[in-house]
Amino acid sequence: MNNRRILHHPVLGTMPERNAVHFTFDGKKYKGFEGETIAAALLASGVRTLRVHEEKETPRGIYCNIGHCFECRVTVNGQPGVRSCLTEINDGMVIESGKRQPTPLKRKEIARHV
Amino acid sequence: MYDAVIIGAGPAGLSAAIACAKWNLQVVVIDEFMKPGGRLLGQLHQEPDGTWWNGIKEANILVEQARALGVDIWCGVSVHHIEEVGQGWRVHTNKERIDTPKLLLATGAAETPAPVPGWTLPGVMSIGAAQVMTNVHRVRPGKKGIVIGINVLSAAITRELQLAGGDVVGMVLPPVNPITKDAGNPRKVMQSLLRISHLAPSAFLRMGGKLSRANWMQKLALTFYPKSGVKMWGIPIHLRKAAVQINGEKEVESVTICSVTPDGKRIEGSEQTMDVDFVCIAGGLYPLAELAAVAGCPFHYFPELGGHVPVHNERMKTPLEGLYVAGNITGIESAKVARAQGFVAGLSIAKETIQSADSAIDKHLENALDEVRKIRSNAAIQFHQDIHAGRNKMESIYKEQFS
Amino acid sequence: MKDSAIVICRCEEVTLEELTNTAKEYKCSARELKLRTRAGMGYCGGRTCRFAIDAILMEATGNQTPDQIPLKYQPPVRPVSFQTLGGGCHE
Ligand SMILES: Cc1cc2nc3c(=O)[nH]c(=O)nc-3n(C[C@H](O)[C@H](O)[C@H](O)COP(=O)(O)OP(=O)(O)OC[C@H]3O[C@@H](n4cnc5c(N)ncnc54)[C@H](O)[C@@H]3O)c2cc1C
Ligand code: FES
Repeated sequence: MNNRRILHHPVLGTMPERNAVHFTFDGKKYKGFEGETIAAALLASGVRTLRVHEEKETPRGIYCNIGHCFECRVTVNGQPGVRSCLTEINDGMVIESGKRQPTPLKRKEIARHV
Repeated sequence: MYDAVIIGAGPAGLSAAIACAKWNLQVVVIDEFMKPGGRLLGQLHQEPDGTWWNGIKEANILVEQARALGVDIWCGVSVHHIEEVGQGWRVHTNKERIDTPKLLLATGAAETPAPVPGWTLPGVMSIGAAQVMTNVHRVRPGKKGIVIGINVLSAAITRELQLAGGDVVGMVLPPVNPITKDAGNPRKVMQSLLRISHLAPSAFLRMGGKLSRANWMQKLALTFYPKSGVKMWGIPIHLRKAAVQINGEKEVESVTICSVTPDGKRIEGSEQTMDVDFVCIAGGLYPLAELAAVAGCPFHYFPELGGHVPVHNERMKTPLEGLYVAGNITGIESAKVARAQGFVAGLSIAKETIQSADSAIDKHLENALDEVRKIRSNAAIQFHQDIHAGRNKMESIYKEQFS
Repeated sequence: MKDSAIVICRCEEVTLEELTNTAKEYKCSARELKLRTRAGMGYCGGRTCRFAIDAILMEATGNQTPDQIPLKYQPPVRPVSFQTLGGGCHE
């Protein structure tokens, strides 16, 4: 256990015991706890960079943490565009960071906002 | 089929569901977060009387009450569109489509940014993100951080970070740009801070609360502002320092700050760099009304309420038949107000659904409306000073143009 | 880094400088500014930057914030896959 988790809190109390879950992020193995989000489990493991900008390749992590900004999107078990700040981690999840994309593909992907 | 669909399981949505269910309506509450409670979940403040407002507890009370009354709560479901069909509304979610005669939008608020060069680096997050990480997920946003943006919300959340054992080197202003404007002006920020001085156990701010309402006093306080900041709960608040740039190759490594004049002008050569691995950006909140907008609801712009607000009356009805709004979508206020507004919306929906001659529901509605006014007047946390004026203007616009 | 190089729209990485220059040059509406720069057209649908874009526009054109939302919202307000768009129905 590292000190990134707040197990004891002066007002909120002590965290109840939770079952551990195991998952991979870009092929590397990590441990999290049942009921937490992908973003929280990764941050607790010291991972902040969740993707790079599709075009500019600049690194990104969580920004809003409540589903508004979509900066935290990753690919979960093959499904792209999943917000890691809203999605609960499950045992055996295979998570991939967002990579640089050939430009035309990206344009098509976001065309629905036009 | 549900009598009503409620989007948002925050204090407004949940209490609306409770009100509906008490009058035997079948309702479902939809929320894209993994747990019900909305932004209530992250909240943890000490009230002026010293007791704690623990949002997780408050949310649990509402959730248990709603479930006991038979309310369905769907979590992890996002609504991406709503449309008026026939006598009601069609709600499109990422799971399924639901038709309903009555629809309540209780989608809350979103954060406005205070952009700073370098703010896209991992490790930079909104102040609300840090709140949720700390209090809901119980994970530290980082080892050592800085808060950019000094306002009611960021002061309250910085206190929460510190309470959880987080190391915050201080709070500074954002750089002045067309977006941050007054938020980068020490004088303006000081004025708005004075409104929360009753929450701050700092001699300076308490004194400030009483005296600095006078203009000359504020000028003096800012001119002689201590270099090391004024501590609130042990956290240095730097009203005369602003963030210039967030630095780091792949993630946040440090922040460059500089001194500013009492009017917010950068003092050249005063730059200094502080090592941090996380940065919280606090720009403020605005009503998240995107679904009301796609539904074609008329809007009005009220700076006092935090931005563009869907037109509605005191009973939380919009001019569109069967469409209601409650909570922060109608203006930025504390969770207690949102909860009280939700109850009004729920009763409004129930009244129009059962359409009985029974006047009991009218009585409840009147009481619920009184409750909103009372809570608003006594609110410990007020995001905007002129909230009453904003609410009154909205009421008269509805009356004049839509009833 | 110059202040003008601040990214405003994070999704499309559009800077303050680009937005200010475009707004001044074309005396744009919010919609036109969005189409010219792609700001607010990214994955988040403008939820993060719309306030900033409105503020830049007001500053560049000197207009007051109108009562109608300057940068129109369009469904879907959350990105959806094509399967979901055809989605099932709850009766
Ligand atoms: C980041 C943040 C931090 C805050 N911190 C404080 C604080 O410390 N103290 C304080 O007094 N106030 C705080 N507030 C203000 C807060 O908005 C109110 O206190 C209160 O929670 C508002 O209640 P509500 O029911 O209107 O909305 P919320 O509590 O925000 O609930 C709205 C719910 O709607 C859901 N939702 C929104 N859109 C959709 C959609 N399209 N599909 C599905 N679900 C959707 C959201 O997931 C959310 O759970 C904060 C607000 C934010 C945004
Ligand atoms: S961090 Fe903003 S959507 Fe996940």
